[in-house]
Amino acid sequence: MDRRVFMRNGALALLAAGFGGVPHFIARAAGNRKILMPYKKNKVLVCIFQRGAMDGLMAVSPYADQNLRIQRPTLYMSPSAKEGGMFDLDGHFGLHPGLAAFAPLYKEGRMAIVHGVGSPNNTRSHFDAQDFMESGTPFNKGTSSGWLNRAVGLLGHKGTPFRAVSLTSAMPRSFYGDNEALAISNLQDFAIQMRGNPMGANLAAKSFEELYDQTSSELLNKTGKESFDALKMLNANTIKNYQPANGVVYPASPLGNSLKQIATLIKMDIGLEVAFAESGGWDTHYNQGTANGILARNLKDFSDSIAAFWKDMDAYQDDVTVMTMTEFGRTVHQNGTGGTDHGRASCLFVLGNDVGGGKVYQNIKGLAKEDLEDGRDLPVTTDFRSVFSAVADHHLRINDDRKLFPEWDGSRLNLMKS
Amino acid sequence: MSWRRMLKCFTVSATLCVASAFTHPTTEFSKHKLRFPYQKMGLTPQQAAAHLLSRFTFGATPGQIDQVVSMGLEKWFQQQLDASLPDDEVNKRLSGYDALSLSNEDIANTYVNQGQIIKLLQKEYQLPKDSLVKDNKELIKSLMKKYGLKPPQELYRQLINQKIIRAAYGNNQLQEVLTNFWFNHFNVSLTKNQCAPYILTYERDAIRPNVLGSFETMLEATAKHPAMLEYLDNASSVSNDNAQSRKQQNKVMARRAEQKMEETMNDPKVSPIVKQALAARKTQGLNENYAREIMELHTLGVDGGYTQHDVTEVARALTGWGIVPLIKDTPGRNFFDAAKRENMEKNGFVFEGDFMFKANKHDENEKVILGQKFPANVGYAEGIRVLHMLADHPSTAKFICKKLAVHFVSDHPSDALVNQMAAVFLQSKGNIKAVLTAMVNSTEFWSKDALREKIKSPFELAISSVRATQADVQQPYQLFLWASKMGEKFYYYQAPTGFPDKASYWINTGSLLSRMNFGLAFATEKIPGIKLNLKALNDNHEPESVDAALVAYSNILLPQRNNEENIKRLTQLIHSDNVEEKINSAASKNKPADAADDDMMSESDKAHRKNENAALSRKNKAFNVSYAMGNNSMIGQVTGVIIGSPEFQRR
Repeated sequence: MDRRVFMRNGALALLAAGFGGVPHFIARAAGNRKILMPYKKNKVLVCIFQRGAMDGLMAVSPYADQNLRIQRPTLYMSPSAKEGGMFDLDGHFGLHPGLAAFAPLYKEGRMAIVHGVGSPNNTRSHFDAQDFMESGTPFNKGTSSGWLNRAVGLLGHKGTPFRAVSLTSAMPRSFYGDNEALAISNLQDFAIQMRGNPMGANLAAKSFEELYDQTSSELLNKTGKESFDALKMLNANTIKNYQPANGVVYPASPLGNSLKQIATLIKMDIGLEVAFAESGGWDTHYNQGTANGILARNLKDFSDSIAAFWKDMDAYQDDVTVMTMTEFGRTVHQNGTGGTDHGRASCLFVLGNDVGGGKVYQNIKGLAKEDLEDGRDLPVTTDFRSVFSAVADHHLRINDDRKLFPEWDGSRLNLMKS
Repeated sequence: MSWRRMLKCFTVSATLCVASAFTHPTTEFSKHKLRFPYQKMGLTPQQAAAHLLSRFTFGATPGQIDQVVSMGLEKWFQQQLDASLPDDEVNKRLSGYDALSLSNEDIANTYVNQGQIIKLLQKEYQLPKDSLVKDNKELIKSLMKKYGLKPPQELYRQLINQKIIRAAYGNNQLQEVLTNFWFNHFNVSLTKNQCAPYILTYERDAIRPNVLGSFETMLEATAKHPAMLEYLDNASSVSNDNAQSRKQQNKVMARRAEQKMEETMNDPKVSPIVKQALAARKTQGLNENYAREIMELHTLGVDGGYTQHDVTEVARALTGWGIVPLIKDTPGRNFFDAAKRENMEKNGFVFEGDFMFKANKHDENEKVILGQKFPANVGYAEGIRVLHMLADHPSTAKFICKKLAVHFVSDHPSDALVNQMAAVFLQSKGNIKAVLTAMVNSTEFWSKDALREKIKSPFELAISSVRATQADVQQPYQLFLWASKMGEKFYYYQAPTGFPDKASYWINTGSLLSRMNFGLAFATEKIPGIKLNLKALNDNHEPESVDAALVAYSNILLPQRNNEENIKRLTQLIHSDNVEEKINSAASKNKPADAADDDMMSESDKAHRKNENAALSRKNKAFNVSYAMGNNSMIGQVTGVIIGSPEFQRR
């Protein structure tokens, strides 16, 4: 039986279902369906935005700088060989124990850390700084597109609605723009559903498709089209029944859940090129703690989620790069409530087999007061665009930096393997 | 001098002009008569009423457009500005909600958190400190019953439900629409544990009574409310730079305490965690969180002309703004109860409701904020002066008016309109009624470009569905779950920005599919506790065909809209020859679609399918009717499609 005939028969059966439940054979066959998609295997860039501004000085701490000890009387940490202690990266920087899951990746040379990274625009507003980092134009609020949307456009592979997928409930600024992009927090929601009436649901779906096709609202029209295109391609059962490789168990957190779904999409091979996820709770103004506490918990979830994803990727690792980002860092000195306020530079992590890992890339002068911005903050010594463009160039083969980051004429950081 | 008198002395000059605006709002306001230029903009009274209702209510109810036309649009709006219509339906539906009238103190001591429960367990049963809540569930249950304690989730449920009930059934719709708007502007979040217990009273006491009053009053009410003080950490932002602290530090007692502290810190037996907590207390001081957000988000706007230096200075000016200890049987509370308020007031402390200005935690030194000098030793009044300066600032006028215009007119209001509103804002000292009047008197509000231009938020979609169908919501919480699924988990937005108020935030693949699914679930009564009588909306007449239902319910749910095209398109679909194929092509791949599946079928499955197919082809001609009259009511499905349609997403 050819595919078309089956499709029709399937449809008829579904119509029948409207009169008396889902036929048994359909329910059974659904779980076994193989996915065959006409897209060639792509490279995938996974970006994770840490919203709220991660304290880079605690995550990857320049513990050897004595100024830090003075500025942070109760927040200072130093390496310790003890279980749950800080991991010494290179005699100067230490990895927070919450990030223990990163240590093996760093040692294997797959993970690079960039420190002192941030935006040349010195705003300390979360919302402006996130906007600038995601649009990729730190001095222009009017840029309508996000840098990852432009990246997808430069890649130029048409024909699948799944090129850019954000596992968030709202479309991130990075994805704004002319190229198709999807935002959905739970892939299982990819269905028009009416309980006990699948036939009615199908008719409703087709009705919606017609209505969204003709609405005068551009946004509703465009999003509707993207949704129905995607709907037709995705097998919600595959999502539901997904089993990670190597017995990996993802943390039951929003980030863990997002990365698990990204892994599903990568393995379904439906043309994913850029994926986006978020992690929240980094705005630690109050009692951020040290080896334990809010920040430690966030770091643990963050690194455990990424490490689980990496292990799950297994055979796909050569095609995947993970890059994290956060809008700015936090004050060098601790504030009066056991936390830190908005600062300037922070650090980020890049993970992949083509990453020149096992190294902290940095240009930090030191934490003496005269070396700080406004006498208080770690200055930005590496422009975030020099990292983003290096990853885009090497991993995705996008080398038109002027289009990816208009207004920028800096050079790429040399952190990928040549 | 009592704090009231002191407050008067310090702030009388600063607030003189504002006070006059309060006491004579009508004189100020009478300059701004309501005169709606919709005819000039080419709208019929019906079209204009539909537009007015789409912006200042959570959706028109059936027949409401005609009611507003016959009473007069201006008169209806004036009634909404007055916000004094009786609300019997709301009161009836809220009668079982016992948390809504509680004080912060009642709430803090009734809806207890885990820490309080553990403490109680220790006290009652002498259980060890590390005994876990989950190991003692039964004990906890009986304890909570004995003391009349309740879980916080119950408080949040009442908070969430009351919002839904007021929005769906309230007569003073503008007040509720504005409560939603201003709460989001001065956002606080249930995601922050310290602030969560006070959000109910925050909305009730700081927001709702002020939404049609003076902006400055609302700003001050939010600044002093425990919810905001906790949410943006100002309650813990303190300074010892004042005479009282210096005096205390010289005392023998204080010196002894210091000595004791030093001993503890050097004691190897004391755990590092305790040491760290002690050390943290010693380094108590400034927290910039609130100072930055009050300027960036509540008043001036991010480009409103302040610097990092201003942020730090405002934070210093607001040190000592805190909360009276609300939880009973804590060291802080016992100490507070033992102290005499009069004595504290003599020392510059100020009490107002649950707000407490702690003079001994305030930075007394001089400050310079936005270029203005704030002299030393002013105490509480200094913060009041900062709030006044911010509320009255031209940047604030512009920032607030733009936000209002974006919410009520269009996602991209003209500069001309914003400037016009901002001028009224400044001239009326932030009188919100006057600003709204200027907005709705403008031609831009009634321009064809503004009509249907806004996309409903998920909450607005859910509530407008209830209102349009006159649904009986017996389980309001179900609508909260749906709104969350559609992208608006209200009261839980973590960042102080509140939800972005623009269409591109609300509309994306996931949320759009959820909106469609909401429409279907809602209209076919698949949402528990929500009852519809769709036939009643059509004068108890049951349409004889799908086509007739489409026409009837499009016009009931989307009055004053051009529904022709949509009806035509759907009618064509239903009557097309290859309707099944079309339907299938729209379906998700949640079903088998592969020839390979055929091999997996048993013989009996195959036979079964053959029979089904034969039966279907017989019934195929009658497809439309049989689909429609199947398990679900046809009217429900048609209504569901309309609610999920693009036109219903617009307002």
